[in-house]
Amino acid sequence: MSTLREIQRAVARSIRSPDDGEALRHIADDMIAPADRLSIYRNNAAATLVGALRIAYPAVEKLVGAEFFEGAARIFIAQHPPRTAYLNDYGSEFADFLGAFPAAAELTYLPDVARLEWAVSSALNAPDVAALEPAALVGLAASEHDRIRFVPHPSVRLLSLHYPADVIWRAVLGGDDAALAAIALTGEPLWLLVHRGSEGVAVRRLTQEEARLTAMLCSGSALSEAMPERDSAVFVALLADHLAQGRFAAFATRDPDRAANGHGD
Amino acid sequence: MSVASVPGQRVPGLIPARAGVGLRFPHHQAVIERSPRVAWFEVHTENYMGGGAPLRYLEAIRSDYPLSLHGVGLSLGRVDGLDADHLDRIVRLAARIEPGLVSEHLSWSISDGDYLGDLLPLPLTEEALDVVCDNVDRFQQALGRQILVENPSSYLRYRHSTIAESEFLVVVARRTGCGILCDVNNIFVSAANHGLDAHAYLAALPPAEVKELHLAGHTVKQLSDGAELRIDDHGSHVEPAVWALFRQAVLRFGARPTLIEWDSNIPALDVLVEQADQASAILLQPHESRTNVDAA
Repeated sequence: MSTLREIQRAVARSIRSPDDGEALRHIADDMIAPADRLSIYRNNAAATLVGALRIAYPAVEKLVGAEFFEGAARIFIAQHPPRTAYLNDYGSEFADFLGAFPAAAELTYLPDVARLEWAVSSALNAPDVAALEPAALVGLAASEHDRIRFVPHPSVRLLSLHYPADVIWRAVLGGDDAALAAIALTGEPLWLLVHRGSEGVAVRRLTQEEARLTAMLCSGSALSEAMPERDSAVFVALLADHLAQGRFAAFATRDPDRAANGHGD
Repeated sequence: MSVASVPGQRVPGLIPARAGVGLRFPHHQAVIERSPRVAWFEVHTENYMGGGAPLRYLEAIRSDYPLSLHGVGLSLGRVDGLDADHLDRIVRLAARIEPGLVSEHLSWSISDGDYLGDLLPLPLTEEALDVVCDNVDRFQQALGRQILVENPSSYLRYRHSTIAESEFLVVVARRTGCGILCDVNNIFVSAANHGLDAHAYLAALPPAEVKELHLAGHTVKQLSDGAELRIDDHGSHVEPAVWALFRQAVLRFGARPTLIEWDSNIPALDVLVEQADQASAILLQPHESRTNVDAA
């Protein structure tokens, strides 16, 4: 007699991929054919998971059409099944999948649009964490400024792309066909900052230098490491903007590793 | 600030023995603006595990209504024990929302760590009984409270099953101290799909263990060979035959918190309120025979 684990494995295989017949052996054969019974679950499961991807990637779906999207999504689901029922977390690999998907090869910009949509989706669902109040920095001695290390807000995402995904995304979701037709699809480097603030998720373009500095600030580098000449106007304006928009959640003035070991200076 | 909640000024969390509505995203704003005459709301736990707008809406609604958290993804039939991360997300949400009820399904949806995307029925065996009871125990310990376990709608049964589903639920309740969420539509759908007696199912459930009832619409799918399967799609009005079974359930169990679920082709909020009113009217009817049935 099969164990519960064996039965579940057989049914799971049958739901996820073409049937090997093993699951059917376990299903009672009465009134209705076991294959018909099992196919109800196969369809429900696919609809749920395709639906989760649809919610995360609405612009990708509009760009390729519902039928193409469903076909691509079903192949993606078979290759990358979700590891949790918290489906807001599902689909992070979809952009890379689309980049390697032969049927979408001509849509060179599509993976970048998907990368932006994933950043927006994960920013929307990021945990609630209070933003660092700029006033919290006011009391610091000048000698401590070099050692400030920021903790980014959990909704902050920094993207390095090659196509104007932000313009495409806005035009597609806004139904602006004229704007869409005017987009030049020549690949050029592009940096985007995505963050959920008090007004919702915002997508902002950064220069290459702003992106480099933001990446350092968000990876826990001390201010002295991020920007040796801190009086640079670009740096000061960028830091002020990050603070004003609530893109940091906390800061420390000690090296977290050394402080944790009790050797803080 | 219509979406700000004020901790400490919430309505009490207890779910009354009246009709509530399954709350889905399209109705968040309408519920806050119009405060519909609904006794309570139930939400899918998995929809509020992140931060941001959904959770803000839920906290605002919680300040005016009792709420029930209904999970669809913990997989109580998982052979490897519960997923600790998922369990932790539920526990944290429950601590924040202070729900009146917490429920899950008698089903499995995870195999070897992969989430399948649907609630699958279990082979109803002693082995599965041990697995489910262990998982319910762990869930209740983590939450520090009783949970309710719901009978699923099902489209297949296993050759291995040796225990009737109603009996299986009763044993889980007795062994773990959990309550039973009796989904009347699911009983109707499953009974039709397997040629079983829905009334016998109801009669096998002990009234004291049944803490909540569910109602929903379903569809009939015609198969190529002319056979029919009833599909629990939560996409239409409650069927007359399910209302009739609900009346039987209320006669047997007494008035219980009763939920209207509608998850696909979601209608205007007024339609849900009207369905809830119908359920409330039945719940408020005198049910004299209850005492006799209880004693049986």
